[in-house]
Amino acid sequence: MRRVVGAVATVALAGLGVLGTATAQAQNCSVWLVESSRFMNVPFGAFMPDRAYVPGSNSPSNNINTVDLPVNVGVIKCGKELVLYDSGWKQQDYLKMTGSDHWAPLPDQLKLLGFSANDVTKIVIGHGHWDHAGQLMDFPNAVLYVQREELKGIEWALNYPNPRISAVNTSQGGCMRTPACGYPPKTLDEIYGKVLSGKAVIVDGEAEILPGVRIHPAHRAHTAGSQLLEVPTSIGKLVFGSDAYSSWEGIRDWMIANPQQTDTVQQFLAYEKCYKITGGYQNCVAAHEPLSYSDKYPLTKNSWVGINGSRMAEIALASGEKSRKP
Amino acid sequence: MSALASAHGSPRFGFKQIAMGVLLLGLGAIAALAMVREGRHAAAPAQNAAAVGGAFTGHTERPALSPAEETYAAELWPIHQQTKTSAVQMTFAGLAYKLGDIDKAAVKERVSPLTKMFRDARAQAGRLQVPPSLEKQHQRYLAALKQYEDASVEMVKVARDGKDEHLVAAQKMSYAASEDSLRVGDALWPGEYKPN
Repeated sequence: MRRVVGAVATVALAGLGVLGTATAQAQNCSVWLVESSRFMNVPFGAFMPDRAYVPGSNSPSNNINTVDLPVNVGVIKCGKELVLYDSGWKQQDYLKMTGSDHWAPLPDQLKLLGFSANDVTKIVIGHGHWDHAGQLMDFPNAVLYVQREELKGIEWALNYPNPRISAVNTSQGGCMRTPACGYPPKTLDEIYGKVLSGKAVIVDGEAEILPGVRIHPAHRAHTAGSQLLEVPTSIGKLVFGSDAYSSWEGIRDWMIANPQQTDTVQQFLAYEKCYKITGGYQNCVAAHEPLSYSDKYPLTKNSWVGINGSRMAEIALASGEKSRKP
Repeated sequence: MSALASAHGSPRFGFKQIAMGVLLLGLGAIAALAMVREGRHAAAPAQNAAAVGGAFTGHTERPALSPAEETYAAELWPIHQQTKTSAVQMTFAGLAYKLGDIDKAAVKERVSPLTKMFRDARAQAGRLQVPPSLEKQHQRYLAALKQYEDASVEMVKVARDGKDEHLVAAQKMSYAASEDSLRVGDALWPGEYKPN
């Protein structure tokens, strides 16, 4: 479990490089959160069953009808390395996602933080769904980290004879009725493109990709091969969770969120992992928390508005790192 | 002006003038009311869009498909499902090869049947009744199927000489085909992909 398996020769070298640096002393990283886009007016109960709207209810758990869900991407600078956790999705003429708003190209959002797309050295995807593993081709120098279990899970669903279990969307209207879906050919071609160009590391379980920056498997916490990322910072350790941590309130209140291929026990174990690593729930970084970029999600409150109304937050700065907040 | 002149010319108003005045005032009030109401209705959608956050910039509400278009979309959907599955199977054959799980001969074994799948899908799609309004999308979809087919033919060549260049070329074709099938999907099945 505690090893990185290189997929091809060049990738194997990258993997050895990872192991080589793992013994070095951990340094604090600087961390920002970027809103890749926002899914508007999602029924709260569809996102978190415990938060289903009850008309006329005075309970704060059930008196909100719809929520806007950000698609959060982590930007992590550790020394000279620039790491993305998730890579959002790419709005184009053929993929508009009606009902979403505030999409902005990730390279342009990075520019606002003073980085170039070419500076990105690593991309860790929490899982391979289209809205978390897009834009990969826009970061030509980045090495992709994906769990082998994620690829195996996709292939299993791909070849399962019952169309209700399918990696591609066989039912219009999302994956609630075909819960293994969410992997369009284009997204998988992008992942494959990284493998073909020798820019992918296929991870088996846990891995340290930089000193103190650790991938933790969270298999079936959202998809077959979901993975978390632990990052050391000046405010303590953070754990990014992608859709294993779709909702920060979910982690705080122990409620499941965004069930897809989710084994809810595994999702709770992923929550517990964050409590154990960080000492609580405050430093767990959620992918779609509606309270993101507000005082109600304190980790993300130091925020501002970027391109096309998308938001950004400065979470932690390493010693000597300058603030990027305008 | 003539009515004014007339009014100035004669300070006394008869029943007819008073009745006409009341009538004109009434018509004016109705017209004003109608304009106000019209203005409110025109403003309503923008107000709602702002209140709900709206779709992303530049995306306007699309008209519903006509019955003929609906029929075409429904008949193409099962072909599209199979095509997507075959496309991802092709991608995974390449992945499995590059990850060392299969050898180059197995790439041929896995991908050759997909060439026929794409060809058959194109023939099947070509037989559909296409409404003139969707002719462009139809041609684009047929071209995407041809591109997938070409990608599979290219990919199989790796079994012959083991050169990665075939895989790279095939991946580019497959990627372009997936973009085109998404373009068609955006017109026919806008709810194909949802947040997850």
